[in-house]
Amino acid sequence: MKLWKKLMTIGFVLTLIVMAGCSSDSDGESGDTVTLTFSDFHSEADQEFFEGLVDEYNKVQDEVKIEYTTTGNLTDYSNTKLPVAFANNEGPDIFMTSPGDFQKYADAGVLADLSPYFKDGVKEDFLPSALEAVTVDDKILALPFELELLGLYYNKTMFEEANLEVPKTWDELLAAAKELTTDEVAGIALPTDKGAYLNFIWYPFLWQNGGSVLNEDGTKSTFNTPEVAEALDIWGSFFQEGAAPSKLQIDPTDIGNLGGGTAAMQIVGTWAIPMLENEYADGDFGLAPIPIPEGGKPATAAGGWKFAVNANSEHVKEAAEFVMWAVGDDKERPLKYVTETKFAYAPRQSVVEEGEEFYDKGLRKVFTEEIYDSAIPEPKFGAEVVDAVGEALQNVMFGGMSGKEAAKIADEKIQSILDSKK
Amino acid sequence: MKRMKKNRRKRNEVVTAYAFLLPNLVGLTVFVFFPMIYAFYVSLHDWNALSPKVFIGFDNYIEMASDKRWWASVGRTFLFTLIYVPALYCLSLFFAVILNNLKQKYQSIARTMFLLPFAITSVISAVIWMFLYDPRNGVLNQFLSSLGFDKLEFLGSTNQALVSIVAVILWINIGYNMIIFMASIKEIPKDYYEAAKIDGASAWRAFRSITFPLLRGTSTFILIVTMIASFTVFDQIMVMTSGGPASSTEVSVLYIYKQAFEFLNMGYASALAVILFLIIFILSLAQLRLYTKKG
Repeated sequence: MKLWKKLMTIGFVLTLIVMAGCSSDSDGESGDTVTLTFSDFHSEADQEFFEGLVDEYNKVQDEVKIEYTTTGNLTDYSNTKLPVAFANNEGPDIFMTSPGDFQKYADAGVLADLSPYFKDGVKEDFLPSALEAVTVDDKILALPFELELLGLYYNKTMFEEANLEVPKTWDELLAAAKELTTDEVAGIALPTDKGAYLNFIWYPFLWQNGGSVLNEDGTKSTFNTPEVAEALDIWGSFFQEGAAPSKLQIDPTDIGNLGGGTAAMQIVGTWAIPMLENEYADGDFGLAPIPIPEGGKPATAAGGWKFAVNANSEHVKEAAEFVMWAVGDDKERPLKYVTETKFAYAPRQSVVEEGEEFYDKGLRKVFTEEIYDSAIPEPKFGAEVVDAVGEALQNVMFGGMSGKEAAKIADEKIQSILDSKK
Repeated sequence: MKRMKKNRRKRNEVVTAYAFLLPNLVGLTVFVFFPMIYAFYVSLHDWNALSPKVFIGFDNYIEMASDKRWWASVGRTFLFTLIYVPALYCLSLFFAVILNNLKQKYQSIARTMFLLPFAITSVISAVIWMFLYDPRNGVLNQFLSSLGFDKLEFLGSTNQALVSIVAVILWINIGYNMIIFMASIKEIPKDYYEAAKIDGASAWRAFRSITFPLLRGTSTFILIVTMIASFTVFDQIMVMTSGGPASSTEVSVLYIYKQAFEFLNMGYASALAVILFLIIFILSLAQLRLYTKKG
């Protein structure tokens, strides 16, 4: 009999342990204050900025308390942390989304409509194209706070030694990349692995040539065209002809490929400038718009993360108010992020004007004067369309396919994805 | 009287045994059995993880039948298994026999060296090998070109990527399996070898007629465990190629991961996982029967 008692005790203790492990001790509300969770993926300087922002907000008012957590890793954040949290109905009240996964959250209805929370005049202050990129059925489902544009960074010394001009056309770019390739140096560093970033870097080539992935209202694939095929072919030729490495040791988002001298050119975004100025100050680097095809028009992609509020949160209003306070109210806070913490453009006219002198410093001037006007926001396709476009790119890069074949296969795939969503 | 006492003691023993098993059983139920059943339940639904599940019966399974990319990934998994399992088996057995003949002192040094890769976190070893495999500045290519060979693309080529990954996973696991083999070789009575020697058997003959047959139990264990592991290979591939280039290393688990977490098709991904489980289960059973029948 004694043993049964012991057993009962052990069982009871175990149950308690399991239960303690599963329960969450935050009830959301304690007294009058509302506690909100805010989760993102930032690290280093960016993380400090958002921590500071949350601290400040917690100090300036006492109705809402924000708890900030970060995973410090972008892929873990978008592919594991957020979906798992939402699947368990424990999604954060405030989170971040990028064009690569905006659509899946929008489709699932977890993005709260932020339009009612704009202060007077703020909505008009935003660039129309930036808001358009986050609008579905007249609802503004996320709030952009950075616009990151792409440009061609190059090593001036290497160009001078090889007696080369900065390329202006696709042919010149390919020729320069081949010319500059040696055993140690890659002609141009481009992303190699499938994913939203690969497509993001390729979109300028697509748009310059007049191609597109979907038609205006997103119901039909427009991928099987000569324009798309040509844009695929030029991209593939960098890899097939050995001018772009098939694998990179340093992440393609990191300007370290160019800065460290293992690549002569690299297509990266605005975020690379502070890195070049601080960590690779010894080198002589230049920046130019991404070269265009014969008869094409300049284009670059504008990416960037957006604030989002969980539509299933019990405190949508409070969460939206924080987001508005953070980047949709005064000019100082958003300006500090896009100028001091990193370099990007603010999606609000008044903020850009406020930081005018800043946007002319060093290489930033090239972005401001030569690239900014050709920016097109990164499209918000569903994850499966992103994957199909990525597959087409991989097929011309490594699969030995022509642009025409790859475009045809992807076109069928994209159309079947669109049809199955109806 | 005596008998009753004995019975009671026996009962107490059984209870104690279950008490010791209880923590493990709770763990297994919560973390293994329940998720398995839940995965099957989810596989009958259309679920994107963000909105409520919609029951759709076996539609996910019907869709899977015509999903070319899924079957291609299954084919790639089989290919991986066909290269990896025999290679791991032969190499770890080979090294176990060789090391077993070394002097005790050298034996323990060699054993430690072989086991070291196993102690490295899989992601870290994958990253180390990415540096070695780098097409332009990697050590392997420097070595190849110093010998006058052409440089290889390794992970950047659709033909070489899968084999390159197999090599890394072999490097990680050979040491561990070798030690299991060594332990069971030590169990074989020395008399057999002495008798064989007197009969004039060569080393190869002794291996073929004594060592190999007496290792059948260990071999069965290693083959089955390795096969299961190779059907669920994921971390190294995720880190080194994430399925590329051009899908040439997209194995089943990687495709399931993409369906679940990139496309948020949780229901469909669960259905794929259930089928993968069945494939592994059937293959394991078949293997078990095959190896035990021979005896």
